[in-house]
Amino acid sequence: MLAYLTNLAVLISINAILAVTLNFVLGYAGIFSMAHAVFFGVGAYTAAVVAIKLGGGLLLATGAGMAVAALISLALALPALRVRGEYFVAASLGLQMLAITVFSEWKAFTGGIGGITNIPPARLFGFEFATPAQYLVLTLLCLAAVLAIVRLLVRGSFGRSLKAIRDNETAAATYGKNVAVVKTIAVAVSSSLAAVAGSLYAFYMSFVNVESFVLDTSVLLIAMVVIGGVATLTGPIVGTMLILLLPAALSYLPGLPSTEIGSIQQIVYGAAMVLLMIFRPGGVWSLRRGQGQTR
Amino acid sequence: MLLLQLLINGLQLGAIYALTAVGFALIFGSTRIFHVAHGAAFTIAAYLFWWSFSKLQWHWLPALLLASAAVIAFGVAMERWIYRPIQRHEGAFFTVFIAAFGMQIVVQNAVGTVFGRGFETVSVALSRAVPIATGLYVAPVALVAIGAALVCFVALAWFLTRTQVGTGLRALSDNPDLVRVFGLDPTRLSQVAFALGSALVVPGAALTAVTQGINPNIGAHIMLISLAATIVGGIGSLTGAACGGLLLGLAESLALWKLDAQWSEGVTFVILFVFIIFRPAGFLGRPLGTK
Repeated sequence: MLAYLTNLAVLISINAILAVTLNFVLGYAGIFSMAHAVFFGVGAYTAAVVAIKLGGGLLLATGAGMAVAALISLALALPALRVRGEYFVAASLGLQMLAITVFSEWKAFTGGIGGITNIPPARLFGFEFATPAQYLVLTLLCLAAVLAIVRLLVRGSFGRSLKAIRDNETAAATYGKNVAVVKTIAVAVSSSLAAVAGSLYAFYMSFVNVESFVLDTSVLLIAMVVIGGVATLTGPIVGTMLILLLPAALSYLPGLPSTEIGSIQQIVYGAAMVLLMIFRPGGVWSLRRGQGQTR
Repeated sequence: MLLLQLLINGLQLGAIYALTAVGFALIFGSTRIFHVAHGAAFTIAAYLFWWSFSKLQWHWLPALLLASAAVIAFGVAMERWIYRPIQRHEGAFFTVFIAAFGMQIVVQNAVGTVFGRGFETVSVALSRAVPIATGLYVAPVALVAIGAALVCFVALAWFLTRTQVGTGLRALSDNPDLVRVFGLDPTRLSQVAFALGSALVVPGAALTAVTQGINPNIGAHIMLISLAATIVGGIGSLTGAACGGLLLGLAESLALWKLDAQWSEGVTFVILFVFIIFRPAGFLGRPLGTK
């Protein structure tokens, strides 16, 4: 039971990092990315390859993943500079679909459909992370660091520029904001921090394959942000907990066939997205805080 | 010969995509609602057709009618109970999009739970390929697909240009406020757009069940294709969406000439990506202005 809870807590922290970083572009910059799982995947694959082929430790593997993700994020920043709204959603969907194909077909790097197995445990200054409890400490520390970075950026002048661009790009440009640079940096920061989650995931699971980085993952992350509360600091974490605890809660309900739990979970969060958008577009967290903003 | 074969397959696929994309473009063009649950309508139509035709052994005509009735009800209900309440308090694109996507997830999983998650095909004599020349096989259903697409487009063009409701729909896409000035009801017209756009998925859905088979996840793929076709063709242009659908179908099929089948979806999205970066207005769309 304790092992089960620890495992769940590690997965919640990893997903919370993803949700917080997605919220950074989605909520504060108004860049509606449906390709966040791509950077999760890039981080995971890069970390796995660095750890196996180069024998790199946690820092090297994560750093490499962040660098590669930041580079690939240009593929997302480019359409974000050109178009908004529907067009950008379509572009990011395209990137996500393309990435799935690359992840499952580029066998030399990603191991194809089978993925990469036997990733060595993470090493940090000679210390080797072995038990789930140690990983829990590590992921919680990373989550705290990511939250601190995002909070710093959002509360500072960079965050004000972001929100200005989100609310009115032309007005922001008139006031001398360099829209292109601010957007590109926002996407790069969000993507490289998502790669941190990827690296942690690869080391923790010691196995990665394309299944974890598909469109459904991106959509699930969006659901976490939206249900928790867009453009709030803690909302995405609440959303992550709600969504990941749901299957666990459902499995305690009597009379549900276990094969249907996955699909009932999806129906519940799909319906939650619909109902929230009709009645409370700011997300559940904004109920209590009253600071949710959907634009 | 392989190229010709791929070309014919591409035309068949393109006709199906074009039908679906035009429905999406019609809804988006006239109501400005990004109806991503269009893929869900497709799934519903495909499964009801398969269920009534293959399982219950109905004649194909009532099976198609059942599917049409169901998707029209679905489209109109989405407009009435989901999009309209959202737009009443806030019209943000983001909010509408999330709600529609949530609905797509609900439908996909509900269909999986009710009808099973397996792969289903409708087998009819028409889908059996007939050799036309050496190494060239064509199933009569390809002609049905192209014919159905042409009939639907001609009927739609007639409806939009020659009837009063059709003219109203076109007016709605140009200027909703002016529609109100002329004493027409934009709400009623939106519902017509949803009914008509949703009904347009039925031939494509039935043909997909016959030619390729269906599974509950097909809605997501269809949604992506409709979206891509509408953008590549140019938002606001039905002809553009039809051409976009045709282009994507052809590209997906012709890609098999040089690439493995797994890359066909990748090809679609490379096309979309290139269009968005270099020509976001699409090849027949209006200029983007401040978007």
